[in-house]
Amino acid sequence: MREWWAKIRQILKRTRGLDDDLGEEMRSHLEFLIEENIARGMAPDEARAAARRHFGNQMTTGERAREAWQFPRLETVLQDLRYGLRGIRKSPSFALVVMLTLALGIGANIAIFSVVHAVLLRPLPYPAGERLVWLGESTGDASGISVTWINFHNWRGENHTFEDMAGFEMADLTLTGRGEAVLTHAMVVTSGFLRLTGARPLMGRLFGEADDRPGASPTVVVTSEFWSKTLGGDPQAVGATLALNGKAYQVIGVLAPGPRFLSRAVDFYLPLGISAGNTANRSQHGSMRVLGLLKPGVTLANARVDLDAIMKHLALADPGPENDHRAFAEYLSVVRTGDVRQTLWMLLGAVGLVLILACANVASLLLARSTARAREIAIRTAIGAGRRRLARQLLTENLVLAAIGGGLGLLLAGLCLRTLVVSGPSSIPRLAEASVDVPVLLFAAVVTVIVALLAGLAPVFTAGRVDLTLALKEGSAASGAGRRGHFFRNTLVTAEIAITLVLSFASGLLIRSLIMAQTQYPGFDSDHLLALELQLPPSSYDSDDAARQFYGRLMEGLRGEPGVKAVGAVNCPPSAGDCGDWWYSILEKPAPDRGSVPLSLFNTADSAYFRAMHMRLVAGREFTDADRPGGPRVVVINEEITRKWWPAPQLALGHRIKIGGPYREGPVYEIVGVVANVSQMGLDTEPMPEIYYPFSQRAERAMVVMVRTAGDPATLIPAIRRRVAAADRNLPIQSLRPFEKWLEAPLAQRRFSTMLLGVFAALAMILAAVGIYGVLNYWVSVRQREIAVRLALGAQRSAILHWAGSHAMRLAAVGIAMGAFGAWGASQLLATLVFGVSAQIPGMMLAAAAVVMAIAALAASVPLWRATRVDAVQHLHDA
Amino acid sequence: MSYIGSVSTVDDQRLEFLQGTLEVLILRSLQAAPNHAYGISQFLEQQSESEFLVDNGSLYPALQRLLQREWITAQWKLSPNGRRAKYYRLTPLGRKQLVAARSKWLRFVEAMGRVLAPEGRHA
Repeated sequence: MREWWAKIRQILKRTRGLDDDLGEEMRSHLEFLIEENIARGMAPDEARAAARRHFGNQMTTGERAREAWQFPRLETVLQDLRYGLRGIRKSPSFALVVMLTLALGIGANIAIFSVVHAVLLRPLPYPAGERLVWLGESTGDASGISVTWINFHNWRGENHTFEDMAGFEMADLTLTGRGEAVLTHAMVVTSGFLRLTGARPLMGRLFGEADDRPGASPTVVVTSEFWSKTLGGDPQAVGATLALNGKAYQVIGVLAPGPRFLSRAVDFYLPLGISAGNTANRSQHGSMRVLGLLKPGVTLANARVDLDAIMKHLALADPGPENDHRAFAEYLSVVRTGDVRQTLWMLLGAVGLVLILACANVASLLLARSTARAREIAIRTAIGAGRRRLARQLLTENLVLAAIGGGLGLLLAGLCLRTLVVSGPSSIPRLAEASVDVPVLLFAAVVTVIVALLAGLAPVFTAGRVDLTLALKEGSAASGAGRRGHFFRNTLVTAEIAITLVLSFASGLLIRSLIMAQTQYPGFDSDHLLALELQLPPSSYDSDDAARQFYGRLMEGLRGEPGVKAVGAVNCPPSAGDCGDWWYSILEKPAPDRGSVPLSLFNTADSAYFRAMHMRLVAGREFTDADRPGGPRVVVINEEITRKWWPAPQLALGHRIKIGGPYREGPVYEIVGVVANVSQMGLDTEPMPEIYYPFSQRAERAMVVMVRTAGDPATLIPAIRRRVAAADRNLPIQSLRPFEKWLEAPLAQRRFSTMLLGVFAALAMILAAVGIYGVLNYWVSVRQREIAVRLALGAQRSAILHWAGSHAMRLAAVGIAMGAFGAWGASQLLATLVFGVSAQIPGMMLAAAAVVMAIAALAASVPLWRATRVDAVQHLHDA
Repeated sequence: MSYIGSVSTVDDQRLEFLQGTLEVLILRSLQAAPNHAYGISQFLEQQSESEFLVDNGSLYPALQRLLQREWITAQWKLSPNGRRAKYYRLTPLGRKQLVAARSKWLRFVEAMGRVLAPEGRHA
């Protein structure tokens, strides 16, 4: 090893060449010889010639000296390769098992790594994507809330850590005047946004600073998709006008095709400054977030400190209700991937464990084989092969096996990856981009080499310790069968059992969580329910009354439809996620500290909604038609809120809720009812506080109409379409589908990760079973003579079974004990991915241990049976 | 990786080096004081009473191998007669190797002697 380092160092410092040094040394050597010859009385010329002769060939001497510094010749490497391939041909079944095992382990790792690389590691597709930061405000429990326009301007003008900043928000607008009215999706941005995301114009121009001013004329930059689809790819599109929500916007540019920002498809960009630019109130929030580009070398922490200093300064210069607000900053790459991040790292970890299992199996196979080859190795040593030369040859053989296994793994990964990409949930950003590319190939190569080294260590270590005389004598115990070999094998088996336990435990937890989530009662009946999503364009519905009248008319019609049992409407149905949260307080209760004002989700429902959904009314009343716009303002809250404030839900009735909390302006509502919790953020989430406004007092244009049906909800879809068209011929239907589909959608990601982890656990079980079988089988083979002797001395077959069985049991027990520790560690990491069960439940641990034990018993049964079938007479005769 | 120090072509009567011998002899020649390649070959010739004639084609590679193993180090210095030469010096590791190799070789020589001794002496 030291020689290799010396050689590498020599290569690195080749500046003062070895050649010069050697040449000089040999010249000085010659001078010594000449001097000696002259001293003996030769003439100088003669002395020189004699010295040359005596020294020998300088060229070859120098060459051979230099050779000592070179790495092994290609020829020896090729020779090793040939030996390796010959070895594979000689024992094809052995090689096949090794290669398949490695292909499984390596392939699974490559597939998952490709996904991790595409989703988490590859830089975002924007210029300097790795420096893009998502900025919001934060206070108390709420982080990443919207940034106010004034704060944005101060951040942008006074920071020292950002190269550029841009505000952005989403908006849905109705496009009219081009055939049927359609709902379109816009990003409303300041001019820097398109610069930061690297957008380039295909035609026309992008926004400039002038477009950010409040008085600027309304302009729009359309995406290439919108241009080709809706504008028909019109080459004269620049200069045309679009009627959006009834207002005319002039098209100033068409963007070249480019990557999406977040996962949302956008039709066009509008300037944000026009609408937001004239606010003077520092605490007036819209829904704007800020995209920042960090200066090179600036850390996220630096940026936070920088922006916080600006916020503190503003709190003094322009005090208001939000003096405690600070900046929230997170890398865009992290915000985009969100909770996928943890899931993917978990999967990579799991698949890494599977690879370790595969390595262990291969190591144990190689060890058994090297035992069988002990004679061959002994002969090679006897005829002069050095230990190092032998080790190198064995390693080369392993590398050949691993390389073929890795190649097969690569093919396997390609297949798996295609399945993953097609079947994976759409909520994983950039999953579709996952492919076997250069970094993935590098990963595959590195993994393969590591696997070859790891799996190959066992036989290499024992190869040097072959006892020549023992191995050459026929039938003697050979290297791998010695104490060292057995210890190694036993360690492998216990490790395999431990890893399998960890994986079964983890996948058990996730499967249980998925079942809990799927069977979780969502707080309402989700069957026989249709969801009709509508969004009224403000141009044709310019008042709350108009919206109320439309929905009233539509729902009246739907109720008359045969097969419809009930109809209700809500702004944000269960599992639709967060449709807006805000602070609140209870007037009759002591005001909480500034930092701990509670947050609640807000929603709007009509008087028929709770009944149509079969949501349980816990206390008080539902909304009624008597809750009029001018009348006393009322809300219905969910049970979760009452838990925080009152010992029993009905005590909440009559109390008043202040929207915005005690420290800011906000209206006050009386609590008239309490309803059961529903899974607002998805089936696999814990309930959150929620406040419902009555639709009659607070009309929304975007509502989801829930239709409770008597029979199969899908059969009513055409009738409902007709009713919508009858109510407003120009109104696009956003979506219309059985509600169960809607409800299940957020579970796709959980199902995806659970399925993968389940597959890995199953792989682990198979590998472990094969490993246990192999090692025990070997154990029995080596002991056949011992068993024969025991039998001959009168031992019962049951005693043999007991003896061999207790050996297997000991291994399993140690493995399970180690695995229990590992599983406990894993449960800490899994805590946030688990739903509905505690990550530390002992039941799951016991179940996993039982499963692993059963697999171990199954795998051990054949070798144990063999142990009892040993023919004593025959063995003793043979010996 | 194996090498054999070969006999000099000049004189067939001289001894052939066995595998690994030359390295030990080089280490031994450096035991008392650092020396250069010429000095080492002089030393070996004189000590072996001209039974060993060191072939430079073997000596130089052997020196490189010893350098790699860090059993010796090299340094350019002036010789007593004012000539610049590359001097080799034993490292502590090399000294340890020499001790080990010495006892091994002595045992080997003794054993060879016993085996090859005339039969009468053995009886």
